[in-house]
Amino acid sequence: MDPSLANNPELLQFLNQEKERAMVNEMVAKLTSVCWDKCITSSPGSKFSSSETSCLTHCAQRYMDMSMIIMKRFQSQ
Amino acid sequence: MDSYSAPPMGGVSPSPEAMMEQVKTQLAQAYAEEFIETLRGKCFEKCITKPGSSLGGSESSCVSRCVDRYIEATGIISRSLFSKQH
Repeated sequence: MDPSLANNPELLQFLNQEKERAMVNEMVAKLTSVCWDKCITSSPGSKFSSSETSCLTHCAQRYMDMSMIIMKRFQSQ
Repeated sequence: MDSYSAPPMGGVSPSPEAMMEQVKTQLAQAYAEEFIETLRGKCFEKCITKPGSSLGGSESSCVSRCVDRYIEATGIISRSLFSKQH
């Protein structure tokens, strides 16, 4: 590989963007997995019930709230 | 020796643009494979509760619905996270 590519600012910015995109993707995937297990307790239907939809919505947000608590608690140790 | 460390036959290194395109394509492929693997796990768990000697009609339809619902769930979670009103 052409060594000057390692310093190419466009390439570096691109790699940073893709890194961030990968982190976001991972978080969404993990949360969807956890919340699916928590919220979809019966056999999947042809659409979500409103309680399943709210559960999924709330689940993601509560997980993030919990994450904040954990970080704060951990940092205060 | 992979295609990233060795220059192609013409002796010219790939341009940054070509490299970015290649990375984007491979990332998209990797994400898709990972997602499909998740679908396999989730839908097998929900739909094939007692594996028999073949896949029943209800098991097959459950799997189809499961895929649709899981994709929908991914969208719900994604929107919930990125349009928070707290």
